[in-house]
Amino acid sequence: MREVAIKHRAMRINVFKVVLIFITSFITVLLVLAIAALFMVPDIKDVWESLKSDEMIYSLKLSLWTGFLSTVLVTIFSLPIGYSLSRFQFFGKGFIKTIIDLPVAFPELVLGLCLLLLFGNTFIGKIFDSLGFQFIFTKQGIVVAQFFTALPYASRIMKSTFDYVDPKMEFVSRSLGYSMFETFRNVSLPLARNGILAATVIAFARCIGTFGTVLILAGGTYMKTEVLPITLYLNISYGNMGMALTSGIVLMIVSFMAIYVFERTEAAL
Amino acid sequence: MKKFLIVLTIVLFWAGQCLAADLIIFSGAGLMKPMEELKKNFESVHHVKAEVHYGGSGEIFAMVGAGQPCDVLIPGAEKYTQDALKNGWVKKNTIHNMVRHIPVIAVPKGNPAKIRGLEDLARSGVRVAIGDPKAPAIGRVAKQMLEKNKLWNSVTPNISVYAPTVNQLLIYVALKQVDASIIWGDMVVWAEGKGKLDVVRIPENKNIIQTIPTAVCTKAPHKDIALKFNNYISSPEGLAVWKKWGYEPCGK
Repeated sequence: MREVAIKHRAMRINVFKVVLIFITSFITVLLVLAIAALFMVPDIKDVWESLKSDEMIYSLKLSLWTGFLSTVLVTIFSLPIGYSLSRFQFFGKGFIKTIIDLPVAFPELVLGLCLLLLFGNTFIGKIFDSLGFQFIFTKQGIVVAQFFTALPYASRIMKSTFDYVDPKMEFVSRSLGYSMFETFRNVSLPLARNGILAATVIAFARCIGTFGTVLILAGGTYMKTEVLPITLYLNISYGNMGMALTSGIVLMIVSFMAIYVFERTEAAL
Repeated sequence: MKKFLIVLTIVLFWAGQCLAADLIIFSGAGLMKPMEELKKNFESVHHVKAEVHYGGSGEIFAMVGAGQPCDVLIPGAEKYTQDALKNGWVKKNTIHNMVRHIPVIAVPKGNPAKIRGLEDLARSGVRVAIGDPKAPAIGRVAKQMLEKNKLWNSVTPNISVYAPTVNQLLIYVALKQVDASIIWGDMVVWAEGKGKLDVVRIPENKNIIQTIPTAVCTKAPHKDIALKFNNYISSPEGLAVWKKWGYEPCGK
């Protein structure tokens, strides 16, 4: 009797396992097919011609340099954000955490609209304006859009990285007479190295892929504020599928490389 | 476990039901307001589920070309339907010209840059937004109009953004990010009424007025119902809806 019961239970666990694995593989297969379609549908010659076009070269260059700049800014800002959220207790911490995380759940279009309103006619916009920063319809605007879209992702990874760094190490360093900043520089930072790299990589992928925020804030003008996702969208509008698919492929390759590096560093963590 | 499977099946089935449509319409993004009402009326009379896909005229044109299933094609300008006819994508006897699509100049409330006509767009320091000439129909029309009035070259330096979608133009004007934009008159009716922006009319001899046509696709998966919808939106009853949203019936 007991044996039967045990066997029965084992069977049930098996069904459970099979169903779960089935769902996982089913979705994975669909995704793989969808990605493969992007590479299989277009003509290789068409893709090559599109890659060499002025529009694509312009868009790729603009994407890369705005992406790099935004990523550097995101890293500079998300490092202290992640560290303070992980280490310090202070008034309004919960509120700050929620606000910083908010754009993760925000549609990009809404974020773009918020930024457009902020830098539009408010005194904050005027302050930046007098400092020589104009964010609306400009390349600087692309960087701002990418920065705010990618920041929450990077901050989250930074925070969980520092959560895993043992505070005892820092205590030891402090007890040996090093200041908080020296401890941060010589102990916390090296220990968090992989997490910081992961955050940077994800931030870069997010920056390159930002569409809605860039569209609203920077306008998405042909050969002016045209980054890769805008090229994709514009060329769908033009009915030029070759160009659209090519920008899709380039974006996909960037994401693949980013995720690959991310998984590698995460594994090393 | 069993319950979970049942729920999953129901959810999947329900999702499938929701996605299945009896009628697929491709419409220019600018026509959203009357289209939604026409769609709702038609659905309740004929007990069918219609699905409207909105996009830039160039975009929906390309989608039909790429073989996406589509029953009724309603772009923002006649040119697209004529091109579709040339390519054999729509049926000639189903083309009805419904309403006039009139471009106007939209300016922020109070008209800060004192725009009175197309010529003022060329004045130095005026910030202008127009649609990308290759994407939404209004972009192409705006460019043609400025060229027709020999203003294109003098206006280009003032253009701060070529927007890929029509709706962006509306946002930028309403938020005072530009001093003027060329946009469909019917699109600003609602915003003008709410006091978000002002409208400067363009005289007919300088303007390029489009007509909005509807047509049934040759490869329409739901032919009968598509014909009914095509006739309904171009009937007097349908035109009344268009009129309500600020479109002028063509009058044959």
